[in-house]
Amino acid sequence: MFFSTGEIVVNEANFVRKCFGADSSQDDLWGKLICTNFKVSFVTHDPLPQQRFQCVHRLLGEHDVPLACVEQVVTVNDAKGKQKVLGSNKKLKFNPTELILYCKDFRIVRFRFDEAGPESAKKVCLAIAHYSHPADSQLLFGFEYVGQKVNGVDSGKKVQTAMFDCSSDWDREIKRTGASEWRVCAINEEYLVSPSLPEFFVVSSSLADQDLKQFACYFKAQRLPLWCWNHPNGSALVRMSSITEPQQQRKLDQRICSAIIKSHPMRSNILKTDLDKCLPSIQEIQSALVKLRQICVIAFLKHAVEVIYMLEGKQSSVILQEEEDRDLSCVIASLVQLMCDPHCRSLAGFQGLVQKEWVMAGHRFLDRCNHLKKNDKEESPLFLLFLNCVWQIMEQYPAAFEFTEMYLTVLSDSMWVPVFSTFLFNCPRQRAEHSRDFAVSKSISLGQDKVLKFPPVWDWSQQYSLKDQLLFNNPLYVGKSAPCVHNGTVRTFTHKRSKKNYSSTLRGLPSDLKNGGLALLDTLPRRNSLMPRLRADITQMNEKQDSPAECFLQDMLSRPADLQGLLLPQLLPSHLPLWKLYFLRWVPEARIPNGGPITAFHKLSVLVDEIEILQDQLRQYTGGATPVRSPSSPQDEHSKMYFRAGLSQNDSPAPEYLSSSFPFSPMGNLCRRSILGTPLSKFLNGARIWLSTETLTNESL
Amino acid sequence: MASAPAPIPGYLTTSLENSSSQNDPHGTPAKSTLLCTAIRSDKDLIYMCPFNGALKGKVFITNYRLYFKSSEAEVTVMLDVPLGAISRIEKMGGASSRGENSYGLDITCKPLFSYLSQEKFEENGWGVYKPMDEYRRQGLPNERWRISFINSNYDLCDTYPTILVVPFQTTDEDLRRVAAFRSRCRIPVLSWIHREKQAVIMRCSQPLVGMSGKRNKDDERYLDVIREANNTPKLTIFDARPNVNAVANKATGGGYEGEDAYQNAELVFLDIHNIHVMRESLKKLKDIVYPNVEESHWLSSLESTHWLEHIKLVLSGAIQVADKVCSGNSVVVHCSDGWDRTAQLTSLAMLMLDSYYRSLRGFQVLIEKEWIGFGHKFASRIGHGDKNHADQDRSPIFLQFIDCVWQMTKQFPTAFEFNEHFLITVLDHLYSCRFGTFLYNCESVRENLKVRLKTVSLWSLINSEVSTYVNPFYTHESSRVLYPVASMRHLELWVNYYIRWNPRIRHQQSPVEQRYKELLALRDQYLKKLEELQLSDSSPSSTHLTNSSTPNAASPNQHLTHLQTPF
Repeated sequence: MFFSTGEIVVNEANFVRKCFGADSSQDDLWGKLICTNFKVSFVTHDPLPQQRFQCVHRLLGEHDVPLACVEQVVTVNDAKGKQKVLGSNKKLKFNPTELILYCKDFRIVRFRFDEAGPESAKKVCLAIAHYSHPADSQLLFGFEYVGQKVNGVDSGKKVQTAMFDCSSDWDREIKRTGASEWRVCAINEEYLVSPSLPEFFVVSSSLADQDLKQFACYFKAQRLPLWCWNHPNGSALVRMSSITEPQQQRKLDQRICSAIIKSHPMRSNILKTDLDKCLPSIQEIQSALVKLRQICVIAFLKHAVEVIYMLEGKQSSVILQEEEDRDLSCVIASLVQLMCDPHCRSLAGFQGLVQKEWVMAGHRFLDRCNHLKKNDKEESPLFLLFLNCVWQIMEQYPAAFEFTEMYLTVLSDSMWVPVFSTFLFNCPRQRAEHSRDFAVSKSISLGQDKVLKFPPVWDWSQQYSLKDQLLFNNPLYVGKSAPCVHNGTVRTFTHKRSKKNYSSTLRGLPSDLKNGGLALLDTLPRRNSLMPRLRADITQMNEKQDSPAECFLQDMLSRPADLQGLLLPQLLPSHLPLWKLYFLRWVPEARIPNGGPITAFHKLSVLVDEIEILQDQLRQYTGGATPVRSPSSPQDEHSKMYFRAGLSQNDSPAPEYLSSSFPFSPMGNLCRRSILGTPLSKFLNGARIWLSTETLTNESL
Repeated sequence: MASAPAPIPGYLTTSLENSSSQNDPHGTPAKSTLLCTAIRSDKDLIYMCPFNGALKGKVFITNYRLYFKSSEAEVTVMLDVPLGAISRIEKMGGASSRGENSYGLDITCKPLFSYLSQEKFEENGWGVYKPMDEYRRQGLPNERWRISFINSNYDLCDTYPTILVVPFQTTDEDLRRVAAFRSRCRIPVLSWIHREKQAVIMRCSQPLVGMSGKRNKDDERYLDVIREANNTPKLTIFDARPNVNAVANKATGGGYEGEDAYQNAELVFLDIHNIHVMRESLKKLKDIVYPNVEESHWLSSLESTHWLEHIKLVLSGAIQVADKVCSGNSVVVHCSDGWDRTAQLTSLAMLMLDSYYRSLRGFQVLIEKEWIGFGHKFASRIGHGDKNHADQDRSPIFLQFIDCVWQMTKQFPTAFEFNEHFLITVLDHLYSCRFGTFLYNCESVRENLKVRLKTVSLWSLINSEVSTYVNPFYTHESSRVLYPVASMRHLELWVNYYIRWNPRIRHQQSPVEQRYKELLALRDQYLKKLEELQLSDSSPSSTHLTNSSTPNAASPNQHLTHLQTPF
């Protein structure tokens, strides 16, 4: 049993049983149920059956659920046949015999109080309900955690990820993408112009600070257009909120557009895409997740491909427009870069991308995660949707990403550990204000930075040991300098950026702008039009034409994939499978012992480790200074692989603890039936094996 | 779909070697031996490509394949279909119809040519399966089980193989009396035995109970002898069919083992539907993936085909069989005739229980034994080589089995020696008729027609280019029992097989597999390099410690220096 800094026990009950199955109680565990200001903890002296390995979380034990991860607290009295969903400050008129926690990561945990004192059972349930509904954000555990840490020793560790909270990070990004016609703008320092924009952002060089300040008031929440990224051909990706003053619309549009055009080396056209019209709403995304439907994943991937067609195929700059520019555009802007820019597929690059397009751009993590459980309508799993899209591309191009699906899963779980600056706030300004207020109220003396230093989620050592972090490294990754065998000789991949130098004398307004209007996506096909349904109807056959974006996609897909270049995903629903590790990891019946993709991952990891050892040995001969690694020396921190080559060069068998759920374990989570203790045949005879995940679909769309 | 403006005229003899080599899906090492007679159309025909629209070109028909080459310069579309793969040809329209494209043939592909082709391979695949060797591998015969030659002339059962394994104490006379009570005389015989626990998998057809509820003392005694062979209290009989179907079969003289008659047996129905249901299900599946993938309601469309649900039932049935045997109970598996669902269940259970069958050769033995040897009616189910084949007899039972195997390979990526490409190749040649392996319904016919002498085995092709079909992730684990998870959420549509002809799909062999092979090659190269260096080291003039500071040490391996941050 361990507690984190700032963690306080609120209530506890003894002699509680954690249920393993609905059918029998023989595998249940006995222990103490504890509610702290951070988590629901279950402490037992019995080990879990069949469980010898789990990725050890530094803040959470194997039975723990962070309060922020609790979706619903349900108490049951089976003798009276009563059931109640508990909220904050609710009364409970019966003594609960059972507590069921429905979690946001799809776990279902059940406790029984048959032997516990009825009063203490009731109290612990009420405490859990109360503390999982914090009244305001400063009651979220992260504040206590960080507040205590400031008084103690600051780790002072620097994370290797661009945070985009200073102008130098933006400068580097401008240089990296060759966006020479764009500049860092600091008018929002101290958040004087817009409450939800970052202090530093990038604008077209042709727009003066003075103009921008003037324009700001016409945009929703003063959110000026933000530069996201430059395509190697000079086309820019820009995101923008809606213009609130209809009278100013035309004039503003024109000013913004001509500035963006001026920043394009070829003075190319601009295309604007209205995301609110093209994509599902945040409510639709929420309901699709509950039903495990892939429909939103396809819509977003499809739209990102259309945007890329504009940038690459038509060499035009693209404006992503959304009412508030804080939700859908985060997904599209980051997907576009992920597909186009190999840098975003490295670990540091990906983290920087999330920092840039989500955290700094003001995605409302606090509201979308619904940490305060105040407004369920605001809750929407946009970030999870994004990670799901990333997983789909990764599944199609497994060697193109430096990180693994385990990394993506752990990243999504971190949303429910309310400690990280990344997911606790709606925007950078809110973070600054809340942490200042908290410091004042708790009279914490702040250092020079004048803010509490919340660790970003990218500081992975907060959650996992260095050894466990190795699970993030993809052994298949073909990075910029990964060796490959080509025609029998070892070569390294080199990436050439196809940067062209365009003459800056190319001038002249594009025709679309002469009428003062925008090229409003007449060329952009609407939803569902990307892949026209082609039935084998002979008369229609010749008339049906594929959209240009569709042809572009087909053309790209017909060529061999360049892992250091543009990667477009296959968009057919048949080719976008369910993200099994994420969605099935807590379901005992879905666990494949000694199976799943991890078994192949294990072999890859061992092989790559072996290659690393060989490289070291070869380097010895070439006079390198690196110390020679011997296989499996325990203190060795050098390897990047989680599974290490054994002493024998022969096949090392996969460890017994591997399963399709690895590194998670579904044991101890409730499901309809238990695989343990009941005959296998009995469980297989059940037509509906678990809750809602069994049928492929209950969709009507 | 090919649509011809006029009936195909003209005959011509030509060799197709050169023209077909670029796009032949059945790339063969011995193509030049494929001498064919061809029929060519004089005029251009129009091929209504389901993906690209109408195309003009010439059609060639040989006794092996139908071949179309587009004559339009900008599109290079070729159609190359082995005749065995054509499942249906329909005449569309008539001579009286007017307008373009009004008259033609609608050819639907399915996936006897093998006689004429005498391709040469390094290995003769007909030698892969020798029944006696296989039974000996299982530790048979032993003191409880004997080899019976009662069927050596196929006079006990014409659809069974010649060599059968039966309980030691049962005489051939007993067997004949049991045969009288089993549909088509397919008596319970041993398919597999668990070495330690001596539990067995027996396969057979349904008992001839009929409406009157007939009993047969010999059959009852026979099943009890099977149970006694390893001293378990209950024998489990798995009837693959749904309960109602088993009851309905009584009307035609069949039925199932009643509780009264077989007191030491428990009967379990596995709810797997019959060949007609499976055929319709696959047809529906084809409709949603071809020519275009049904996009708007993909999941509900997929669910409405019930294809994955059938896969799930077959797999979970096999898991139950394997689970019983693994816990020491002998089982009897049957359906109606014991050549469709029974073959699926026994072979899948054996694949789970016995790692030998997960090797490339072991899997060939499994197919030869449980499918070809025990009379899965390939000719009737696929429908080739028979003028009077009835559509009603066709069914994708073997395809469904391979699909189940594929699902298992997905769940256990390191447990099978063969890869996806191998499974697809097997299925392609199930329909291609290039090999004799899947011809005819049973061994007696094959022997009669000397198939082994006159045709080439598919395994000749496979075993002559093993490296293409080997899964690089394979780890041999001899005693491991595999239980796949037969839940809908884990079952996937095999898109690389069912949706592979769609030009919108990028064709790639598993990128993970490819990358792993690359890395293996890289490792070998490093090992070789290191070995060379060590060799040169051991020469008296230099040791690697002194070497490391000399300039000449860096020069030969300079290219290795930028490998420092590879992964």
